[in-house]
Amino acid sequence: MTATGSAPVREPAWPLPRAAIRLWVTQGVIGTVFWAVVLVLALALLPTDDAPLSALPWAGPALLALYAVVAIGLQPWIRFRVHRWEVTPEAVYALTGWLTRTWTLVPIARIQTVDVTRGVLQQAYGLATVAVLTASSQGTVRVPHLPAGVAEQVATDLARRAEQVRDEAT
Amino acid sequence: MLVHTVTFKQARQLVPVVLPLGAVIGFDGGTTTVVLLAVGVTLASLGFAALNWSRFGYTDGPTAVVVTRGLLARSARTVPRDRIRGVEVEGPLLHRLLGLVRVRIDAAAGATTAEGEEVVVDGVTRAEGERLRAGLLQRRPAPDGAVDPAAPEAAPATEELARFDPRWLLYAPLAGSYLAVPVAAVGALFRLLDELPRQLRPDVDGVHLTGWLAVVLAVGTALVLLALGAVIGAAVVNWGFRLVRRDGALVADRGLVTRRHTELEVDRIRGVSVSAGLGLRWAGAARVSALVTGLGAAQRRGQLLPLGPRAEADRLAGLLVEDPGELRRHPAAARRRQVVRSVAPGLVVTVVGGALAALLGWWPALAAGLGLALLGVPVGLARYAALGHRAGARSFAVRSGWLVQEQVVLQRRAVVGWQVRQSPFQRRAGVATVVACVGAGSGGYAAVDLAAGDVVPFTRAASEEWAGTLAP
Repeated sequence: MTATGSAPVREPAWPLPRAAIRLWVTQGVIGTVFWAVVLVLALALLPTDDAPLSALPWAGPALLALYAVVAIGLQPWIRFRVHRWEVTPEAVYALTGWLTRTWTLVPIARIQTVDVTRGVLQQAYGLATVAVLTASSQGTVRVPHLPAGVAEQVATDLARRAEQVRDEAT
Repeated sequence: MLVHTVTFKQARQLVPVVLPLGAVIGFDGGTTTVVLLAVGVTLASLGFAALNWSRFGYTDGPTAVVVTRGLLARSARTVPRDRIRGVEVEGPLLHRLLGLVRVRIDAAAGATTAEGEEVVVDGVTRAEGERLRAGLLQRRPAPDGAVDPAAPEAAPATEELARFDPRWLLYAPLAGSYLAVPVAAVGALFRLLDELPRQLRPDVDGVHLTGWLAVVLAVGTALVLLALGAVIGAAVVNWGFRLVRRDGALVADRGLVTRRHTELEVDRIRGVSVSAGLGLRWAGAARVSALVTGLGAAQRRGQLLPLGPRAEADRLAGLLVEDPGELRRHPAAARRRQVVRSVAPGLVVTVVGGALAALLGWWPALAAGLGLALLGVPVGLARYAALGHRAGARSFAVRSGWLVQEQVVLQRRAVVGWQVRQSPFQRRAGVATVVACVGAGSGGYAAVDLAAGDVVPFTRAASEEWAGTLAP
């Protein structure tokens, strides 16, 4: 990664599965199709002769193309290179984001609950999201798009270890 | 047995219903209609109150408090004793006349909902309220490893930590929240006037202001009234404020009309926040609140000093959480970023205004944009000056904010996680924002634009060994 030079903290060790890229691409395609439909409807229904809307016939498709390139061609790959996660003997650690990066670290002793969620798209690709919650509303480690089996295993393992070492947890 | 004072509250709720009713029927019907209406409303609300009261009950068992209520749909809420975070006993004027109190029980909130859940037992006798308070907050055996060295395990001696000096009320007109009191009162008055039928409205002719003197006089009078209202508002809430430490709990008493008695466990305090808005800073004043686990959004409950001189605020904060020492400044890149961020909105307006001036010859937007951009420079510098962080032996501090500056001092054990954020701009400037995630207060406190190289040393010094995971 180009930014490692000035990265404030260490990168977590483990990458996401490559299926995550396919999922993000699918999301990008869905978003593009949605905006294309909106654009077509707008062009068909709105009067485009007047001054403020006269730019729509050429600006609309241009913006849509830009969105498609970013959402399908760029964002999934950048996200895949940024996203990392790790479970150490002491803590859960994750790095997420694509432009703004967020590193979150939560010690096992302060874990309150561990959630595993599977969205519709995630189910199609056999992925799941693990969310590790603490007493703080901001202290949540969320690892998206892990293989479903791994997510399940991580969740049970974390919940068990949290029970063993839990102090006050607040 | 118990006189239920909810009656008057309900009677007040019925007023908005009755007024339009009266307007429709017309108050022309003479005094008979008015008297009939008054009697009707009173009877109806008494009936409601009696029904409500008869369906309300509570028990404080050895493990939980159960409150049952509901007219038709019954609800029973069970609050386990070990989830009770605080008990507040308050005596509004009417309650006090009848020798009654209202007991509010704060229960811990879950991880996902930041709000504290509250159970209210209204209209019990003062002795019963006192018994509930003492019984519910009985010292439980401290959970191992969580014994705060600051908590005295000695006899239940009371130690006074702070006492409100009436002279501090003079700070009230400088604090936004107290200024809001008279404004809200005026607003309510106008609403009431609106609801009154036309015949009953006072007949005020439009006031005709002539000349500058009259305008100056009117504005001056309004300002004086506003300041007076703020002082009175602050006095009503905070009169006789006193904070004592008794038997491992902090007890705060306050209020002129409604006396409030709040109790917080010292064990659950994770930090203190000393905050001051622009006006308060100018006058050298501040307010202090405790950050208590499980209190969630019930911030008012954690207030330790509603208003006072900065020195007093710092002394009080130091009594509860060890002062980590002089704050460290953030790098020069942070100053650049704060100035740029404060100037940017003004620049945007300037560019748009420039376009307008060039196209339409309309220049006020351009002037406003330039003015805003120029103002942004001192604001940005002030925002930078507010930034600071410091990790001490057992605690750490972060400070930020310009409109309202907040300095938060937290215990090491308070941290339940770290979040480090870096935007592309921050990456280029070599800084990052570090948020200490805490299960108290707002949930997270940020050190904004820390030098990237300082992140690991700061997190290591401010929490336990597990933060070493962040180190490369």
